[in-house]
Amino acid sequence: MRWLMRWLRRNRLERELDSELRFHVEEESRRLEGDGIAPGEARRLALASFGGLDPIKEQARDARGTRWVNDLWQDVRYGARLLARSPGFTLAAVLSLAIGIGANAAMFSVADGLLLRSLPVDRPGDLVFLNRAGLDEESMRFSHPAFLRLQAAVPEARVAARSSLSRLQLSRGSGPAEIVVGELVSGEFFDVIGVGAAAGRILSLADTRELGGAPVVVLSHSYWMRQLGGDPNAVGRPIRINGLPVSVVGVAAKGFSGMTVGNPVDAWLPATLQHDLGYGGNASMDDADPLKPWVPQDGIAWLTVVVRKPSPASAPGFTARVTAWHRAEVEKQAALSEAADTRAYRLRERLELVPASRGLSPLRDTFTDPLQVLLVTTALVLLIGCANLASLLLARGNARRRELALRLSLGASRGRLVRQLLTESLLLACLGGAVGLAGARWGGRALLIMGATGSTPIPLDLPFDWQFVGFTLAVSVVTGLAFGLAPALRLSRPDLVEAVKSGGRVTGAIERPSRLPLGKALVVVQVTLALALLVGAVLFLRTFRNLLAVETGLDRDHVLTVRFDPRLAGISMDQWPALNERLLEQARLMPGIRTAAVSQMTAMGGGARTTTGVAIEGRPIRQGPEGELREDFVGPDYFETLGMPLTRGRGFRAQDTAKTPKVAVVNETMARKFFGDADPIGKHFGYEMPPDVEIVGVVRDARIDGLRQRVPAIAYRLMNQYPIQLASTLYVRVAGSPAAAKASLVQAVAAAEPNLAVREVVTVAELAERTVARERLVSQLTATFGLLAVGVACLGLYATVSYSVAQRRNEIGVRLALGASPGSVRWLVLRETLLLIGIGVVAGLVLVIPSFTFLSTLLYGLSPRDPATLGAAALGLLALGVVASLVPAWRASRVDPVTALRAE
Amino acid sequence: MGPAKADLLQGTLDMLILKIVGRNPLHGYAISQRIGQISRALLQVPQGSLYPALHRLENAGLLAATWTETESGRAAKVYRLTRTGRRRLEQEVADWRRLSEAIGLILQTSE
Repeated sequence: MRWLMRWLRRNRLERELDSELRFHVEEESRRLEGDGIAPGEARRLALASFGGLDPIKEQARDARGTRWVNDLWQDVRYGARLLARSPGFTLAAVLSLAIGIGANAAMFSVADGLLLRSLPVDRPGDLVFLNRAGLDEESMRFSHPAFLRLQAAVPEARVAARSSLSRLQLSRGSGPAEIVVGELVSGEFFDVIGVGAAAGRILSLADTRELGGAPVVVLSHSYWMRQLGGDPNAVGRPIRINGLPVSVVGVAAKGFSGMTVGNPVDAWLPATLQHDLGYGGNASMDDADPLKPWVPQDGIAWLTVVVRKPSPASAPGFTARVTAWHRAEVEKQAALSEAADTRAYRLRERLELVPASRGLSPLRDTFTDPLQVLLVTTALVLLIGCANLASLLLARGNARRRELALRLSLGASRGRLVRQLLTESLLLACLGGAVGLAGARWGGRALLIMGATGSTPIPLDLPFDWQFVGFTLAVSVVTGLAFGLAPALRLSRPDLVEAVKSGGRVTGAIERPSRLPLGKALVVVQVTLALALLVGAVLFLRTFRNLLAVETGLDRDHVLTVRFDPRLAGISMDQWPALNERLLEQARLMPGIRTAAVSQMTAMGGGARTTTGVAIEGRPIRQGPEGELREDFVGPDYFETLGMPLTRGRGFRAQDTAKTPKVAVVNETMARKFFGDADPIGKHFGYEMPPDVEIVGVVRDARIDGLRQRVPAIAYRLMNQYPIQLASTLYVRVAGSPAAAKASLVQAVAAAEPNLAVREVVTVAELAERTVARERLVSQLTATFGLLAVGVACLGLYATVSYSVAQRRNEIGVRLALGASPGSVRWLVLRETLLLIGIGVVAGLVLVIPSFTFLSTLLYGLSPRDPATLGAAALGLLALGVVASLVPAWRASRVDPVTALRAE
Repeated sequence: MGPAKADLLQGTLDMLILKIVGRNPLHGYAISQRIGQISRALLQVPQGSLYPALHRLENAGLLAATWTETESGRAAKVYRLTRTGRRRLEQEVADWRRLSEAIGLILQTSE
């Protein structure tokens, strides 16, 4: 950086050079005077021995090595003056660059946060998760006893366990309770991943020594700042979580929010508090009692295991020991099964070590594909912007031909001119990049809001760091070179000297008819890319529309849902049936209500309770997906409320109670899957031998899991027969507008139980739309970018055709003078436009669209080569292109032959 | 005209300057005087290339300069050799010796 210092101090250096040379001349003259030469003559001789001062100064300046900085500075100032002189062009160019660069930067920040970034833990590369693969469904969950056995089997590795995330109700003295995200962890969790405390202490082994134990909690730094204002006295303060008094012992290090990217944890609690907290997160159960503490039970797999691998050198055979532990676990589990095929199925399980450096993320699985599509989309938008700016610069450069030609003929090197023109492009690109950077912050956040399934944005950190700024800067520079290089090379061609001789008149010195003109090629490129984006946008919009129009088998528009959790309000299990009755009672008092019902799962809610190896009367028990059955516990009026008609048998009746035989209604898929064409009514199924639940009815299939998901085989059991089953959803079917009934439903719940926190009241239709949130995101963004791209391409077309008309003014004047009609002149221009668009469209259809097959998995109800979509996009583009060229065509027909010819 | 003078070989001016300044710190004019003494005898050193060369060597960190007062009470820019400059000088002298020995040898054997 010494050159920078020298450049900044250039004025002082210049003065010093002056006095140094003056000193030399004066000393030399004095010496000559001493030899008896007259003073004036002595000075002349002294100067002459140098052969002139200025060349020496110039060489000394070169020796500083800062000449290029000078040149650059000069070019930047010159470029800035030029841009300031045409504010319209500058504004348009900077804006279009800002959109292109900003969109790419926003995508980068989201992709970086979601796909690339490592967790803020110590040496994340050494951490692995254990994954149970080989069965029909993979799982990462292990029981607590199995986790302890793993620790004993690999003493050389550090092993920790964590539960799945769960909502907890947190209350701090006064004020309303809040819902926070909690994670139960083993005592060594923080130690193993290497996350320290920002205040107080982290959890330690002492906290999980005994079941129950002293109730403590560690809060996340973000929660601490957000809700407690970073109060250092928060540590040691008692709070209540799910009604249990716990004390805050510390705050985890800043930036750490758990191992699930996109789902930040607010509170970490010892795993040994599972029972006391009434924690009931995701778990796989097998011969277990979920109502008893989970920690000692071998049959409840609920913990993800995080292992810090020892270095292979220090612990050879580590992987083998982990695998051996897993084998022993699998064999022990399999031995419990009586049926031979069940045993064989279980023995198929094998262990995988999954890198944990980037954490877990269901979001990542959902959004990897759409993000890739969007990254390609924004890259194409930027590419179109580049082609567009290149053509604008080319057209603008024509106005500067004289200036450039003059400088060439005065001896400026071509490299120097190219450098100057490139500096101008880079200046534009960097201006666009700076605006884009600000826009990208906003855009990234908008993306998180648009991609969210609920009302809150995706909780993902989008840090403003050097990676983000560096990426934006790099994109800006590459963009500047991309759109600046071709015009710079073209405009600095030495044969431009001709332009000086011709006095700046339009003679076609730049556009040689024998060549493919660069400007037109650029327009074709823009049309090609715009077609690709337009086709993509239409495909995704139609996919989204197809999905919304899917027949769900539910009356989604008239059913309101409200979700609640009595456990969080500290309502004990024996109070649940009474609570359900009060809720239904209050709901039935609402104006405009038809029916109301409760259920355990929420339609379109994502929750699932699946069992495999179900016993079916008269059928062998089957493992894996073939024996898989979903179940839900629902209230009596459930089918009527959701608008699901019975196709066979009967629904639930008031006479079905906890004391009468168990009954269930199954859906058509369940009936088909387990009974084929046979009548399932009167048959029994269950989890004990002999099966004890009688099928009394069959209900029409409904897409209960979401608009894209297949209908599962599902059995609805009557909640009233199982008092210990939790109801967490209340459905209300209303006659009028569901929006108007929302407020009265909130009131109804409050009237039934004031302590019950209500997450939100939404219609089933709204829930259904959330199941296609990523399709909505992709369709909205591709549509936006598609329109932008078409707009930019039309602008490019307009500029190029206008320029071509200006260039051919003489010819058009001659034509008109010789009697050509204005109409034929207009057609002349339009024909050229149609040709350019035509080439672009054909190129798009032939070269780009075939690569769209990779979109197939994201589309719904149509193929990536859907002819109607392709045709509509091509015709639309053609029509817009014609509109864009109407003005230049009209202008061409209005050329005054006299003026045009006089200019010749 | 005096006896025929040899042209300065490319790059040897730098070595000369380093050598002269290496003995004791000097200002530009004094350096030119020293070179003048040599050039009158043997070598053609263009006066004009002295200052660009001084600046180049200074920017390369081989010379360091300070403004000091001369006996006549005037400010002059005095150059001295830096540690890197001294290493470079030793290396260039060694290189030069090897080269001239080699050329001398060739000239002897081919006579």
